Amino acid sequence: MGGQFPPLRRWPFGLTVGVLVVLAVFVVRALSPAFVNDQLSDFQLPDRVQDTLTLAISVIIESVPFVFLGILLSAVVQVWLPHGVLARRLPRNPILRRASISLLGMFFPVCECGNVPLARGFMVGGFTVSESITFLLAAPILNPITIITTHQAFGWDGHILVARLVGGFLIANVVGWLFSKHPDPQSLLTTRFAAACAVGSTSGHDHAHARESRFSQTTEIFIRETSVIMPALFIGSAVAALTQVFVPRSVLLALGSNPVWSVLAMMALAFIVAVCSNVDAFFVLSFGSTFLPGGIVAFLVFGALIDVKMLALMRTTFTSRTLVQITLVVGLMSAALGLLVNYVA
Amino acid sequence: MLPNGKLSGALRYWAERWQGVLLSLVVVVATLWLALSGQLGLYIHPRYFVFTIAMAVIGLVLVGAGFARRRGFEVERTGRIATTLTGVGVVLLVIMGVAMVVVPPTTLTSATATQREVNSGGLGTEDDTDQAAALIGTGDFEQLSVREWVSLLAQSSDPGFYADKTAQVTGFVTPDAQDPENVFYVARFVVTCCAVDAQPIGVPVYLPGWQAEYEIDDWVQVTGRFEPSVSAAASDPLAITPVEILPVDQPKDPYVY
Repeated sequence: MGGQFPPLRRWPFGLTVGVLVVLAVFVVRALSPAFVNDQLSDFQLPDRVQDTLTLAISVIIESVPFVFLGILLSAVVQVWLPHGVLARRLPRNPILRRASISLLGMFFPVCECGNVPLARGFMVGGFTVSESITFLLAAPILNPITIITTHQAFGWDGHILVARLVGGFLIANVVGWLFSKHPDPQSLLTTRFAAACAVGSTSGHDHAHARESRFSQTTEIFIRETSVIMPALFIGSAVAALTQVFVPRSVLLALGSNPVWSVLAMMALAFIVAVCSNVDAFFVLSFGSTFLPGGIVAFLVFGALIDVKMLALMRTTFTSRTLVQITLVVGLMSAALGLLVNYVA
Repeated sequence: MLPNGKLSGALRYWAERWQGVLLSLVVVVATLWLALSGQLGLYIHPRYFVFTIAMAVIGLVLVGAGFARRRGFEVERTGRIATTLTGVGVVLLVIMGVAMVVVPPTTLTSATATQREVNSGGLGTEDDTDQAAALIGTGDFEQLSVREWVSLLAQSSDPGFYADKTAQVTGFVTPDAQDPENVFYVARFVVTCCAVDAQPIGVPVYLPGWQAEYEIDDWVQVTGRFEPSVSAAASDPLAITPVEILPVDQPKDPYVY
């Protein structure tokens, strides 16, 4: 009897602790600002420290909802859908297969930070490394929210929307194709994640967790994924904030009207600003009058795929060497696309 | 089984089991508290409020489930988490986690406005100008915000256009980069997504020796007309010659969206 029912008795304890901890943090939060304002009104952090903190917190608060959504969708793929169901339904031909995978973002609109846990979920669920990279690079651009916001911001002006969509699709598929030629794809992954994948594909969720409810498995995925993603997000946001406070933006903006420099400057800006792909069109709209369209396109394509925060997030899964290669190829292709728009369109 | 000894094994277990849950907890509490106290707008654009709050509530449920979970937790032995955990990483995470809960939320300061250069983003979309033009049609110039004046100034610096129009604008004080002695901006940050993309915009005010009366980052309401700038150094051709400058409280929505 004891073997079957012990959870019932111990269940409320962890939950009670959890509720108490949540309440305690709420109380600390509610008391802190009053304390500083009322009794220590002279207490103030130096402006730059304060701004670094504000910027980092704003990136975190903006990104975390997408991270949670990505983790939940990743749990859906791993736990709630039959094992490998997505992988089986896709075309067999590798090029067509990656092309269809790059459109999966239409059904998983989680923008780039949420894509990382989702791509990890796909790999555990049977996708190859190059297929997951294709998804990771295509989904931030080829998803309904990004398309709508880019259209709202730019309409059909200057081919920006079309260039962004076509460019994102091409880059994702070319990078995916390059990595599919790798002789040992597992070596592209961090050893830690490769081991997690191996566990996922050999035991699967059918055997190892057969007696566990799906909600319980979802919780386990939440614990595991947040333990990897959240520290990376915090550190990525801190780096993004520090860069913003200490690298003068005017250096970049001075370069706006030169066809070559406008492209490179906007890519550098995209890299340090680290705004989500779902909304970056509104941000870059304000630069529309200063920068040539090619610079805007390069920002919208490169920034959606690679930035400081994304590198920290992707480092949870891929080796540094892999990330350098991805960044180089994506950077070169985005620059080429931007120059093409500036000189041809 | 534990390659780096028992201590590091325990550490690794603790980290994998709790760091995600605890960091999520901090973010969820910070988000919900900001939403409850009406300060979420200090960090993100209002169009994300509903989504952010909804995901925070779901996150709270998952955090609760994370605490409640009692099943043994298997930790992978191959990882290098012990290394990442040490030193800078842990310190940074703890500082940021504590800061999120303890430091009072606030707006960006002039330090960022100066660093990003006021009006450098080439702001002034057609919408703004249209809106400003419509308001000018009504003759109600004092209704024009900092943003609308900025977009007008970007279109025209003809002194004749502004001669009969009195501006009344509210913003924080930030010095002009070229002529900080004589000119300051009444500035606002424009936020398109979250505070990280905030662009400072501002209307120049010509008032020699303004530092004696106003501090950087003070919120003020300035009334006056635009006149050709007397300052030789300042980059703007026009500046407000103030008739009245009132100190005001920081508005509830300090950013412009």
